[in-house]
Amino acid sequence: MDTSTDASSSFASNINNANDNSSSSNNSANKDTGFECNICLETAHDAVVSMCGHLFCWPCLHQWIETRANNPTCPVCKAVISKDKVVPLYGRNAPQKDPRENVPPRPAGQRQEARRNRSFGLGDGVNFQMSFGVGAFPFGLFTTFNLNNSDVRSQTPPSGTPDRAHHEFLSRVILFMALILLIFILFF
Amino acid sequence: MALKRINKELQELEKDPPANCSAGPVNDDMFHWQATIMGPGESPFQGGVFFLSIHFPADYPFKPPKITFTTKIYHPNINSNGAICLDILRSQWSPALTISKVLLSICSLLTDPNPDDPLVPDIARLYKTDREKYNQTARTWTNKYAM
Repeated sequence: MDTSTDASSSFASNINNANDNSSSSNNSANKDTGFECNICLETAHDAVVSMCGHLFCWPCLHQWIETRANNPTCPVCKAVISKDKVVPLYGRNAPQKDPRENVPPRPAGQRQEARRNRSFGLGDGVNFQMSFGVGAFPFGLFTTFNLNNSDVRSQTPPSGTPDRAHHEFLSRVILFMALILLIFILFF
Repeated sequence: MALKRINKELQELEKDPPANCSAGPVNDDMFHWQATIMGPGESPFQGGVFFLSIHFPADYPFKPPKITFTTKIYHPNINSNGAICLDILRSQWSPALTISKVLLSICSLLTDPNPDDPLVPDIARLYKTDREKYNQTARTWTNKYAM
């Protein structure tokens, strides 16, 4: 019995053993006939079968799909073919592993980070100044108001009251919006 | 991969040669073959022996072999350089095709030219308008160059 770990070769040899047992008149000349890959013409290894029923080695079919990436068709009957729509064949005594996982890993995309230009030239400088001015405007207003009414009472309501919570909430919202504006102008 | 597949095709050609065709490597270079096609009986090329040159690309069978006639032939789809206009040698190539199948296709192209996709428009026009004159010229060329 074939102890090879190769999925399809043991699959094919099992079939052949079965044939030999049932009909001893079979000669060895057409031993592998019927289990040849349609691309390499050898006995299919890591065998997969297309939805149209044609047998291939997975590495062979994978290379063909890569070659015709825009519109892959079955090499035999030109039916539409895709990576997800082929059926792996598992033989006896073979690892029950999807041959489609055996393809050489795709080369990773190469991406080089562009150098970010941080110089505060005339244009950037102007933008920065403007955003700071707009962002700081509400606080400037509050400060002026406080100074003018310093003898009456503090602008902020007493702590613990709903007014105080409301005021704090508004301050945070304004600060947050100012920050977003600042970040937006700086980076975009 | 390519070399293994080419060797396999050579074995099969020797074991089961196609009718009216033969092919094999020129020297020790398995990527360069020479082929012959006998002019099909029901065509004006009858009796001629046509030589072709076959170059296999390094990524064969994922790319088609380059096949050209080295014998001059009068045909709407074959030009004076021997280039063949045949879809399976270009866009319709499939890795399931073999040299044996391609040679058989070229044989049927000799019998049934495709004047609607011509490589030599003058021959295509003659083929469509004056078949007798086309047959006569093709026979003359066959006698002159392929016998």
